[in-house]
Amino acid sequence: MLSRVANNLYWMGRYIERAEHFARYSRVQYFSSLDAPILKTYDRNFVLESILYMAGIFDMENITEKDVLFKIGLDLQNSNSIISNITFARENARGARNAISTDLWESINKYYHLVTSYPQDTYLSTGFYDFTQLILDQTSILSSKIYGTLMHDGEWAIILIGMYIERVIQIIRIINSKLHDIYKIEQAGHSVTEMSFEWTTMLRCMEAFDMNKKFYRTIPNREQVMEFLLLNPHCPRSIAYSLNGIRRYEEKISRNESRDSNTISFKIGKLVEQFRYLSFDEYKDDIYGLLNNTQDKVIEIGSEFEKKYLSF
Amino acid sequence: MKQHLKGILDSYRQEDAHYDEVFQTSGEPKEHYRSIVETFNQFSLTDFERINNDVKTSFFNQGITFAVYAEDKKPDERIFPFDLFPRIIPSQEWMQLERGVIQRNKAINYFLDDLYHKKLILKDKIVPADLIFSSKNYLKEMVDFKPEGGIYTHISGTDLIKHTDGQYYILEDNLRCPSGVSYVLSNRVALKKSLFDLFTKLKTKTIYQYPEELLEILKSVKPKNTEVPTIVVVTPGMYNSAYFEHSFLAQKMGIPLVEGRDLFVEKNFVYMKTIFGPTRVDVIYRRVDDEFIDPLCFRKDSMLGVPGLMNAYRAGNVTLANAPGTGVADDKAVYHYVPDIIKYYLNEEPILNNVLTYHCEKESECKYVLENIDQLVVKPVDESGGYGITIGTTLTREQIEEVKVRIKSNPRKYIAQPIMSLSVHATFIEESKEFEPRHIDLRTFCLMGKDKEYILKGGLTRVALKKGNLIVNSSQGGGSKDTWVLD
Repeated sequence: MLSRVANNLYWMGRYIERAEHFARYSRVQYFSSLDAPILKTYDRNFVLESILYMAGIFDMENITEKDVLFKIGLDLQNSNSIISNITFARENARGARNAISTDLWESINKYYHLVTSYPQDTYLSTGFYDFTQLILDQTSILSSKIYGTLMHDGEWAIILIGMYIERVIQIIRIINSKLHDIYKIEQAGHSVTEMSFEWTTMLRCMEAFDMNKKFYRTIPNREQVMEFLLLNPHCPRSIAYSLNGIRRYEEKISRNESRDSNTISFKIGKLVEQFRYLSFDEYKDDIYGLLNNTQDKVIEIGSEFEKKYLSF
Repeated sequence: MKQHLKGILDSYRQEDAHYDEVFQTSGEPKEHYRSIVETFNQFSLTDFERINNDVKTSFFNQGITFAVYAEDKKPDERIFPFDLFPRIIPSQEWMQLERGVIQRNKAINYFLDDLYHKKLILKDKIVPADLIFSSKNYLKEMVDFKPEGGIYTHISGTDLIKHTDGQYYILEDNLRCPSGVSYVLSNRVALKKSLFDLFTKLKTKTIYQYPEELLEILKSVKPKNTEVPTIVVVTPGMYNSAYFEHSFLAQKMGIPLVEGRDLFVEKNFVYMKTIFGPTRVDVIYRRVDDEFIDPLCFRKDSMLGVPGLMNAYRAGNVTLANAPGTGVADDKAVYHYVPDIIKYYLNEEPILNNVLTYHCEKESECKYVLENIDQLVVKPVDESGGYGITIGTTLTREQIEEVKVRIKSNPRKYIAQPIMSLSVHATFIEESKEFEPRHIDLRTFCLMGKDKEYILKGGLTRVALKKGNLIVNSSQGGGSKDTWVLD
C-alpha cells in the first residue's frame, strides 16, 4: 500500500469519526438544553458556548443562535464544521479511490452530496435534528461498508486505526466539556435529579445512555458514568474499548514487532493495560489529569504512526 | 409491418442534410433500430424523464463528474451528460471497422519503430522527413531504443465519423493517452440498470472485459527478467479532469493508482513508496503526458513526473505504456500520410477512408486553403480536445481574416479538411423534452501488446448536444451514448 494512500485512508477514518461525534454532541447538547435545569442558573448562551467550544470557536461576541447552528453545521469557512469534515473525508477517499471498494466510495460520495446540497434555510429553521440524523445514519452506512466490502487487511486496518484514534480524542473532549458544565451546575447547588439530567446528557452524547442503564439499572451518577465511559471494555464508545481498537488494528500493520519500548505497539499496549487494571477510586480526584494525560499519549501515538507509515 | 410512431419519438424531426443513424428517409426506423424505437415509444415522457434523472443521480453518486471551480464557493460538480438512446452498429458494419482500426494501428506502430530506428519511410520519401523532424513530439530520447515487444502504442483511440454517403471516415488518431473508456464501461452499466428491457430485445456484444484485457496487454510487455510484474497506473492527481478514469481503471485492474510523487528512481530502477518501504515497479500505464513524465529529461518544472524515469526506461528496467514519443504519429499533419503508411508497411490497401486533407505547409495546398477557408475546417496539428478548430461556414468575414493571418504566420501548424457532415442520432434534449437529431462520432479503443491485440467492441459515441454543433468533445459541451455492436 502506498504511504500516500494510507495517509488518505487514515484521515478519511478520522474525519468520518469526527463528523459523527460532532453531530451527535451538538444535537444532544442543543436539544437537551431546551428544557435543561441548567437554565435556572445560566442563559442559553452557556449551552451554545459549549457547542461552539467543540467546533473550535471561542469568540462569542454578538453571535446568534442561528449563527451557532450555521457555524457548526454548514459553514465551509469553518474547517471544524460538519460539512468541512465530510468534505475532507470525501477528498481523502477520492485520493484513495482505488484502494477502497466501489461500494464504500459511492457511499462516501453520496454522503458528501447529501450534506453539501442540504438546503441551508431548512437546516436553520426546522432541519437541525434531521440534518444530524442524516450524519448519524450515513456514518452507520459507511461503517457497514467498511466492515462488509473491504478485505480485512492493511487498508481496512488503517481506516479503523484512524477512526479509533479520533474516537478516543473526541470522547475525551466531550467528557471534558460536559464535566465543565456539570462543575458549574454543582457550584450553583442543584438537586440529585437535576444532576442526573446532566449525566444522562453526557451518556447520550456518546450514544451510551441505554447501555449504561442496562448495565447499572439505576439513575446515572458521577461514579457510574465516569467508570462506564472510561473503563467499560464492552461499551463501543468508552475510552478502554477504543484503545483496544487502536491496539487490535495497529497489530495488523506492525505485525510481529519486537518488544522494544520505543515502538508504537508497546506504547499502545501499555495504555490499554493501564485502563484495563484501573479503578474509579484511583482517578476520582483527578479525572481531568487522567483524561488529559491519555489524550496526550494518544495524540503522540497518532503522530508516531503517521511518521512511521504514512509519510515515506 | 406498418410502423405507427407513437410516444416519445413521435415529435422527432429529421434533417435532410445529414445522415440519420436511426431513421430512414421514409421516417421509419432502420431495421437494426426497430425494436429499440418500439421500446422507447412505450415510455411516457414522465417515465422517461424519471429514468433519465435516476441515471443522472447514479452518475453523480459514482463520482463520474468534473468540477467547475469558482472563487469563495464550493466547486460545482457536474456530470458528463449521458444520453439513454444507444447507438447501434450492425455486426457486418462493425467487422469492417474493427479490421480497419487494427490495420491502421499496426501500421502506425511499425511507422513509429521505423521513425526511431532506420527511418526507411523517410529515406524512401513516402513521408517528408521535415514533417517528422519539425514535430515537437519527435523525441530524440527514443532514437535507437526498442520498447519491450516492439510496442509503442499499447492503447490507441481512433476517432471515426460517418459522412452523408453512409461511409465511415477516420477523423483522427489518438496515440498518447486517449481517454474515455471509463465512460464506455460506466454508460453500459447505467443503461443496463435503467433500461434493462432493451437488452432483451437485441443482443449486444459485451465490453466488461476491457480492464482485464488491458492488464494482460500490460503484463505482456513486462521488462525481461521480471517474473510477476508490479504494474501501476500513474495519474497527474485527483484534480486532473480524467482522474475518475484513472482511478476507475486502476481499481478495475486491481493495481495501485500512483502519482509521480509516490515513485522514485534509484540505480535505474523505479520504486513506489509503500508503508513498508520501497517496492519495485515494472510496468507503468501512465496517464501523464510525455513532457511531464521526467523533469530531468523534459519539462524541468514538472511536479507530476519522476526524476530519472527515462533513464530507467532506456535501461530496460521499466515499461511505459504508451511509449514516449508516439505523439509524432498522431500529429494531424501526419494523418494525411497514414494510408501511404499502411501500404508501405503492410502492403495492403487501407480498409478505412481518410478525410481529404490539405497541408498548409505545401504552398499549392496552402493557397487553396486560404482561398476557401469558408468551406473548410481548419485544425492546428498539435492540439487536442477540439481546441483551435474553426469551421468555415460558421465564420464571419473578420474571423476568416484572422484565421488567414494565423495560418500564414505558421503554415506547418495547420491542416484543413472539407467540412465533413457527421451523421446524426436521435438524442434526448432536456430543454425541449424531445428527441432531436444531434451529431455523433465514435472513438474506438485498440490495445496492442506482445503478440496480442484487442479491440473494444463498440467504443465511445460522443454526441454534440448543442444544436448544429459539430464538435463532440466533452470540454466543448459534448455528451455520450452507450454503443452497441450487435452480436
